[in-house]
Amino acid sequence: MSLAADIRRVVYDLVMATGRIPHSTELAHVTGAARDEVRAALRELEEAHMLVLQRDSGEVLMAMPFSAVPTSFVVDAGGVRAWGNCIWDALGIPVMMQRDATINTACGCCGTVMTLHVLGGELREREGIVHYAVPARSWWEDVVFT
Amino acid sequence: MLLFRSEEHIDRWCEQWRRPRGGVMTPEQQWGMAVAWYTENRGAPSWRRKTLEEAEALFAELGLVGEFWRLR
Repeated sequence: MSLAADIRRVVYDLVMATGRIPHSTELAHVTGAARDEVRAALRELEEAHMLVLQRDSGEVLMAMPFSAVPTSFVVDAGGVRAWGNCIWDALGIPVMMQRDATINTACGCCGTVMTLHVLGGELREREGIVHYAVPARSWWEDVVFT
Repeated sequence: MLLFRSEEHIDRWCEQWRRPRGGVMTPEQQWGMAVAWYTENRGAPSWRRKTLEEAEALFAELGLVGEFWRLR
């Protein structure tokens, strides 16, 4: 297995267990690779659109559907609290973790709390509507703003 | 990709941020996309990104058709 594939596995193992995306120092410790090798592997994963990195630090920003930084999509899934990158990803977290979850977000316009529940592999709510600001073919031009 | 209380709230957001209205979908359609994209553990060695053809087929299956949802 390549280092990049190993790092991808470790990132998802840890984030699904804890809700937290690991730092490159932790990835180096777990994989036994040098920090520079880890950083190069992370860049390789970003180029393949498998992860998104923070622009200045080179640390992981997004391991879709998870976010390394707090967002307005808070997911509580079976004792694990995680942040989604957007409403699509917030719903994706209980799917990938195969757990029931409560998702707390807010109306993009007025900030009113909107809570969604995933129970038994189904989304319970039907209220609200999702808006995508950027056409699908341009999502990867700036994946932080979609 | 944000959730809004209603179409009216989307219009207000677009006006506030001076952006054209984009694409909309129901929470049910969004759930369908979440299931389609995230059922497989992305840490698994066998995981791979969907091809354009696969993604386009899934969009169509979920009723997401038209210029906004085209991937190329």
